[in-house]
Amino acid sequence: MDRYQYLLLMAACLAITLPLEFVLGARVYRRPALLVAAMVPVVVAFSVWDIVGIWRGHWSYNPLYVTGIDLPLRMPLEELVFFIVIPICGLLTYEAVGRVLRLVGKLRSGANADA
Amino acid sequence: MPEYTALAVVAVVITIALERWSGTRVFTRLQFWLAMAIVFAFQAIVDGWLTKLTAPIVLYNPEHHLGLRWPWDVPVEDYLFGFAMVASTIVLWERAKRSRRTDAEHQPAATHDHDEEDRWTQGR
Repeated sequence: MDRYQYLLLMAACLAITLPLEFVLGARVYRRPALLVAAMVPVVVAFSVWDIVGIWRGHWSYNPLYVTGIDLPLRMPLEELVFFIVIPICGLLTYEAVGRVLRLVGKLRSGANADA
Repeated sequence: MPEYTALAVVAVVITIALERWSGTRVFTRLQFWLAMAIVFAFQAIVDGWLTKLTAPIVLYNPEHHLGLRWPWDVPVEDYLFGFAMVASTIVLWERAKRSRRTDAEHQPAATHDHDEEDRWTQGR
């Protein structure tokens, strides 16, 4: 089970941010074309950085906690998952904050109208 | 300067240039900075788990970063890395929204999809 630790951590990130989409109405997953347009350059750029980091010996991965599945150029599968999951969590947070700010704005203008 | 530190600073500079170039003015929005504050809080927890020296998932070569770790064992460079990754995603997301709206304006109303409603919810 330990080999799945990194992947499980990423799954937990997706699970904990899921209510932002369906409770707060972030509408990130429901705009797949926008999501792909925003994420492809980021996933590519950070994968390149990751591979350079591995190649230059900046970082390495503990074999105890990763599946051992490597993508081309020795990038662990988990790193690709990380570069997909974390930006999605960031977008969900950003859109959810936007929803809350607009709601607060509406409540305030409503309260002013009542006064 | 250690290599990871230098690359992390370069990534932030590129992200700032991207925001400027995009014309989205994301960095002027309260929405962005509140979201980044939340992202950093959760980064500390997730990154803390990834980098904890008692059972690390990711191992950092001490030669290539400053060696400043906070909180727990998170290398401070990771916050620059995280900022560059999440901020550039948000900038490109706003950029994609904008170009999609511009496209929609040149099409007949019948072809508008659901994203079109963003014109009303995102207006500044």
